[in-house]
Amino acid sequence: MRVGVVTFPGSNCDCDTLEAFEFLDVPTKHLWYADTDLTDVDAVVLPGGFSYGDYLRSGALAAKAPMMTAIRDAIQGRDLPVLGICNGFQILTEAGLLPGALRANRHGQFRCAWQTLRVTNESPLFLGLSEGELLRLPIAHAEGSYYAPAGTLADLFMSREVWLQYVDDRGDLNTLTNPNGSLANIAGITRGNVAALMPHPERALEKAFGSEDGRRLLMAWLRGLQERSAHAS
Amino acid sequence: MQAEEVGLTSPEYMKIVELMHRKPNDLELGLFGALWSEHCSYKSTKALLSRLPHDGPHVVQGPGANAGVVRLDQDIEVAFKVESHNHPSYVEPVQGAATGVGGILRDIVAMGARPVALADLLRFGIDAHSLILLDRVVKGVGQYGNAIGIPTVIGDLAFSDTYRGNPLVNVMAVGLRSPEMHISASTARPGQWLLLVGQRTGRDGIHGASLLASRDFTEGDDDLRPTVQVGDPFLGKLLMEATLKAVSEGLLAALQDLGAAGLASATAELCDASGVGAELWLDRVPLRQKGLTAYDIMLSETQERMLLVTSDENLSQVVSIFEHQEILCSVIGHITASKELAVQYRDRPVASVRPDWLIKEAPRRPLSEAQWVSLKAPVAGGTAIAPAFDPRMVREVLSDRDVRDRRPIYRRYDSTIRSATIWGPSHDSAILRVRGSDAGLAIAVFGTGRWASVDPYAGGVGAVLLVLARLAAQGAEPLGLTDGVNAGNPDLAESYDAMAALVRGVADAARAAGVPVTGGNVSLHNETDGQAIWPTVMMGGVGRQPHPYSPLPDYLTASGDLLFLINPSELNLGGSVVALHHQGMTAFPRVDLRKVPHLLKSVSDWALSGVPRAMRAVGPGGLGAVVVRMMQGQTLAYGVEMDLKERDSDLTARLFNEVPLQWVTLVDSRDKDRAMDYWGNLGVEVTQVGVVNDTGTLSFKAQGHSWPGSTLLEAWHRPFEEGAYEP
Repeated sequence: MRVGVVTFPGSNCDCDTLEAFEFLDVPTKHLWYADTDLTDVDAVVLPGGFSYGDYLRSGALAAKAPMMTAIRDAIQGRDLPVLGICNGFQILTEAGLLPGALRANRHGQFRCAWQTLRVTNESPLFLGLSEGELLRLPIAHAEGSYYAPAGTLADLFMSREVWLQYVDDRGDLNTLTNPNGSLANIAGITRGNVAALMPHPERALEKAFGSEDGRRLLMAWLRGLQERSAHAS
Repeated sequence: MQAEEVGLTSPEYMKIVELMHRKPNDLELGLFGALWSEHCSYKSTKALLSRLPHDGPHVVQGPGANAGVVRLDQDIEVAFKVESHNHPSYVEPVQGAATGVGGILRDIVAMGARPVALADLLRFGIDAHSLILLDRVVKGVGQYGNAIGIPTVIGDLAFSDTYRGNPLVNVMAVGLRSPEMHISASTARPGQWLLLVGQRTGRDGIHGASLLASRDFTEGDDDLRPTVQVGDPFLGKLLMEATLKAVSEGLLAALQDLGAAGLASATAELCDASGVGAELWLDRVPLRQKGLTAYDIMLSETQERMLLVTSDENLSQVVSIFEHQEILCSVIGHITASKELAVQYRDRPVASVRPDWLIKEAPRRPLSEAQWVSLKAPVAGGTAIAPAFDPRMVREVLSDRDVRDRRPIYRRYDSTIRSATIWGPSHDSAILRVRGSDAGLAIAVFGTGRWASVDPYAGGVGAVLLVLARLAAQGAEPLGLTDGVNAGNPDLAESYDAMAALVRGVADAARAAGVPVTGGNVSLHNETDGQAIWPTVMMGGVGRQPHPYSPLPDYLTASGDLLFLINPSELNLGGSVVALHHQGMTAFPRVDLRKVPHLLKSVSDWALSGVPRAMRAVGPGGLGAVVVRMMQGQTLAYGVEMDLKERDSDLTARLFNEVPLQWVTLVDSRDKDRAMDYWGNLGVEVTQVGVVNDTGTLSFKAQGHSWPGSTLLEAWHRPFEEGAYEP
């Protein structure tokens, strides 16, 4: 099991993400945006932060990188599991690999805060995260307001692809705990083997940092990978 | 071209002619104008700053380099410095603040250190325009810091009408390096190549140093907007990565960032520090637009550029590192054994000056021993008279802009990127874990405002002591300090004297505490239409935190715990929020410096002793504000019953004085005797001021007052657009 982490020009959570998987004792491979070789990785993470300074829409330029073409081919060809974090989520929607878009936060400001999230739908991609479970994770973004046209949004709910939602500390959905104006408080979605979320699990691996729910989330993803590769072989 | 056009006086011009034995040409005059400017030469303050204590057991690099460096442990060194970007931030707040962040980060990179943290120290007026500036400056700080991926982990913010025309934007950056990464501007040798890397040079920011930052504002200064630069954090990120890679592979001989006065300053400083000359070929400088003159190229302040020096042997490897990051990298000259900085453009020599003329020969304002002594003289008048206690003062103080919650600001900064922030901006000091070390890094900042308005000396002392008090509250050993001095026009006696007294205060307090000041920045001419700001020093301190994964809490943790006030001060409200509201400006109290080391050591040892449950240093808003802030830790479940022996005006003074070197600490009631013994043995006065309960309210036992926590928080959370509650 080897996880590839992609660095685009200007990526700034790539090192945190690589270190997070090393902390979890998972072999990693550092992937460069201009390369296209994915042969020896079993899954790919698109890290958060910024890419290309995000002067255009966040993720718009990174979505056109050669590595993204290779990732698209691998998703289509061998169902490559991909996890997008923050900017990675933006890149995946810009690349059309996940539905919808991430718009500028409705209040117009960057937002860095601790946020409670609820697992809306259990996903085979995250083994051990059960429906209704609450996670506390940091968010840090200026463009995290999830948007999808009404039909797409309904499909997402119908097909149980809405994975994480912003909630209050008791787990209730309401507009006051929506940090960015996302439709239906959506914080993360899945489709096929591709999952993405705006919060930063790699920043919450140990209690001393405020929460270890990031570790739980990443471990659940790794268990999901192992389970599926066991079935495949 | 006339001397005045580049900001030089006629005696300065005469001195240039004397040094050169000829008249300078326009380009040479421009070089002198920039390098001899207040901003680059520190001409008014160099003698003053040389009086600061610079040495200490942990110092690796003192003042004079791009940043100070102290030793965290055997394997890790800390580079840190504060820098101002005041004038540009008034003219164009978003880009002014953003380039301020970019500039100080490149200073850290120029020391071969990887930036790991930022802190912003801001001062604004309270009128509607100032609050818009605040919003834009915060956007700018975040825009650069967030995008380049360096967390902003702590900050300081205060308001006064004095800053209306001159807001202050100071940013401190902190970086880490291995002791093997020793690189600086002083290690260039003849025969090596000079490389310019990063952004193409444009016509932006010419005269930023000599004109914008080195003179006062007057009505109709809109024409200064072109002197502000534009920041590109994306390129800044690539440049940082490539430069640090070249450093870590040992490929560079010397390194200098390009900031104020651009290539002129970078080459002159590098040559002077290394004791070498250089030949520059300006035709090889990549340009953003056609038609730039040699003058434009030398003095442009285009951001995101670095000057590298490398040997012939390493040149191709350096070039390939920058090519990998797709950054322009051009050989623009070479280091020579001559004493000259010789500049060529279009195959003709266009300037020839000696670097030491530009740097060491810059005019300096002398400072006599008598002047230095006089700076400590007591200030007449301005004594605070404490008003009788009124229960409404509690909400009044909590809702003052200098005390209230800064979350609306810091939530716009990424404070958790790099996954090292254990304590961030909601605390009084930041605590970062350091990979590869058991020790963590503690960072505390504080700047004066009110404190230095009447008695700048006392304010300077106070700022240093509060930074050190905050580090001590975590048991962090202070390694070094950085100072950002902001003041008015140094040519006016009143402004100069106030600034000088402020610096003397910093010097005396730092010396008394035995903590060196390893670098900093001076911003003068913060004066608009003859109105100077209060002299303002922004202090930053870094400390070695022995247990980064388990900080000592700064909030209430258990009902029944006892609250003690360590080292209760004299009852002097001078310079406090309450004094300001009820009386106006008053002199900040002077502290007896003889007891400083003993107090700091005792508090630090106490923090590490395992006895206290929590601790916080007293600062703006006094004891009252500290207790409320301790109440709102993680939940509002706990309350405090205060039991103070003071009455009436004494109660006001006890609750709201801001005298430094006081701490509130919490102990389990079973540890009361241990605590009393500990402090008794050290000869430090402590007094019990309250008991923690589970009511969620603050109450005063003797007076019968009580406030639900939510009422207090509502005052503390008041938006910055609104003024304080008035009784």
